[in-house]
Amino acid sequence: MPNFKLDDREIPFEPGETIIRAAQKAGIDIPHYCWHAGLSVAANCRMCLVEILPPPGRPAMLLDILAWDADKQEYLPQKKPKLVPSCQQAAADGMVVKSQTSEHVDVARAAVQELLLLNHPVDCPICDQAGECRLQDYWLEHQGTKKRMRDEPVHKPKAVVFGPTIVYDAERCILCTRCVRVSEELAKDPVLSVRERGNLGEIVVAPGRQLDHPYTLMTEYVCPVGALTSIDFRFKARVWFLRSTRTVCTGCATGCNSFSDFDPRNQKVYRYRPRENLAVNKFWMCDDGMLDHRRIHEGRVLEARIAGAAAAVPTALAKAAELLAKADPSSTAVVLSAEHSNEDNFALLSLAKAFGISDVYQSARPAGQGDDILRHPDKNPNTAGVAALGKASGLKTFVEFVEAIRGGKARTVIALGSATPTGGGAAALSDVKNLIAISTHEGPFVERASVVLPASSWAEADGTFVNAKGMSQESEKAVTPQGSSKPAFRLLAELAALAGKPFAWKKLAELRAAMAPAAPRSVPPESASLGAE
Amino acid sequence: MNNETAALGPKKVVGTPVPRPQRTASVQTYIPEIAKGLGITMKHFFQNTKEMAFGQRNDPVLEAIEDGINCISYPEQKRPYPARFRGVHRLTQRDDGAPRCVACLCCSTACPAQCIHIEAGEYPEGDPRRGYERFPQRFVIDELRCIFCGFCVEACPVDAIRMDTGIHAAPYDSREQFIFEKELLMAFPGRDGSHLTANPRHEPGESTHPGLDRDHH
Repeated sequence: MPNFKLDDREIPFEPGETIIRAAQKAGIDIPHYCWHAGLSVAANCRMCLVEILPPPGRPAMLLDILAWDADKQEYLPQKKPKLVPSCQQAAADGMVVKSQTSEHVDVARAAVQELLLLNHPVDCPICDQAGECRLQDYWLEHQGTKKRMRDEPVHKPKAVVFGPTIVYDAERCILCTRCVRVSEELAKDPVLSVRERGNLGEIVVAPGRQLDHPYTLMTEYVCPVGALTSIDFRFKARVWFLRSTRTVCTGCATGCNSFSDFDPRNQKVYRYRPRENLAVNKFWMCDDGMLDHRRIHEGRVLEARIAGAAAAVPTALAKAAELLAKADPSSTAVVLSAEHSNEDNFALLSLAKAFGISDVYQSARPAGQGDDILRHPDKNPNTAGVAALGKASGLKTFVEFVEAIRGGKARTVIALGSATPTGGGAAALSDVKNLIAISTHEGPFVERASVVLPASSWAEADGTFVNAKGMSQESEKAVTPQGSSKPAFRLLAELAALAGKPFAWKKLAELRAAMAPAAPRSVPPESASLGAE
Repeated sequence: MNNETAALGPKKVVGTPVPRPQRTASVQTYIPEIAKGLGITMKHFFQNTKEMAFGQRNDPVLEAIEDGINCISYPEQKRPYPARFRGVHRLTQRDDGAPRCVACLCCSTACPAQCIHIEAGEYPEGDPRRGYERFPQRFVIDELRCIFCGFCVEACPVDAIRMDTGIHAAPYDSREQFIFEKELLMAFPGRDGSHLTANPRHEPGESTHPGLDRDHH
């Protein structure tokens, strides 16, 4: 692999790669605003300027400038090398690049930083970006002076509602055009553009339109300053109070890699952020996925119920174990769920095996809209995983499940999951004599269940999900289980133990070891984590 | 203990011996000593009674440099607190009575006792402050948990929280009473009797306010 030299460090690069991307892959962050690895190059912020030394034996390209001489108290003619934006300059073998070690680069970055803050309102106390704002970070790192402009800054519109998800503040905007490029290149909907020039410039939505494509929150995500804020997250939390875990979005079968940002003090998830994975979601997530964090706290089943009345979890487990012990295996069925992780489904399959239940069905959320960018029409995170796990047991569809109920073959049912696919069938659940539902959310199962066991959601337990491409991805636990809920695999283990046939595994690691032959793990080739981009 | 330290023998005690009090008959019978102690008590009792009756009490501010015992009849009488005494918090107000606070959470970030809870809210569409500011929907201080360090006052960028009420932490009989909500905090005046903030930030409608759109309206 060819190399170039950046500040005395050898950086390898793929042919055609730019200096900034190669440096980023090597873990060096060249300061930048407008460049984003997933977008085209605009080179308009001028923050990533670097000095490239001329090839040996060739003269450097020099510019004539006037520099202030403090001793002589006058401007003297001098020469300065022409700096290059590292986001646009392709790396070449043997190239020598100076970034931090060049005094000309230092001067240029300080000047760019001062220019960007000339008309900035500095309203960090009420800005949601505070704490993860590049203007703040680079002000500390690169700006040498305080603001020297004494005039009133230019004022521009504030709190402009761009659409159902985004609010725009033109005064904070540095016109990097990342949001414009996201709309155009990622969402294929060029609804944003720049109006006016220079310090009067601002981002506007196309006349007669709203910013309402399915990837609007990516415009907020790429915004390096606080100009675009998400209505969902606006004023909800301060980012320095939040902690992140590496999770997988469970909104659809794409399985986008994400970070769950939660406040450890009140155990609440406040937002998702895309996590870079070039094999799955590249740098992005859709709006539905980004807002899916709400379902962690909304519509949840947090208490156990027996025949619709609230009960303690141990009581409900005892009741379920009693129903299970009395049931005739030939008229008993289990329902796996594509909403749940491999671990939960494997635990239910183990239970079925232990009690000699041969009828294994599957429930899922109804299908929805998809596109050829990220969104998958299958709105379940683990359809492929359930299919692989249930293959040996002859996994049957939900339609067959409804037929089995009507035929009296499913009098006792242990069902995982909360939702049922479209096309009816939910009403048929009323005909199940003993329905034990292990559910995270309110839904048809919970409404009609004899015993409801509250399961933890994906954010409250570790889990493995297999996406539509067949990649098995692990999602980490973010918050502690809410209410009296427990991870479904734990509830199932306790149920099996109470009914007299305990599982061989006790811990999650043991469960995963037991599951390994049935669901071989294929971890996607995740690209190196490149930090918060 | 190994051989080396054992060879050194017991450690020599360094210090001056203090003689024990002599157990004389007057000490052992207690009576004369009790009479002596009561004598001192009665001396102060009569002195204080005399000072109270004749109005000869020391100035409470200067008492530290005056001779004699200085008593004040708390709570009818109170020692004046120094000018920078940190009392119970208050939230300052704007001219229209709205809280000056913009719910930036700097105070709760700085708070080492984590006793400040704020829920930020946005001004509704059409409000002149929308976009410029936000406000605390809830602002709660747990005065029981507060350590009165004053970091919140230092951290506040808009002079919204102050500890200049001159009220010291009051004793209550239940924990709930120490939870001070926004309305209560805004009701306390400063020691000068004012509720207003000293923050000169331009308010919407003032000539110094930059305006909400490009034409400064």
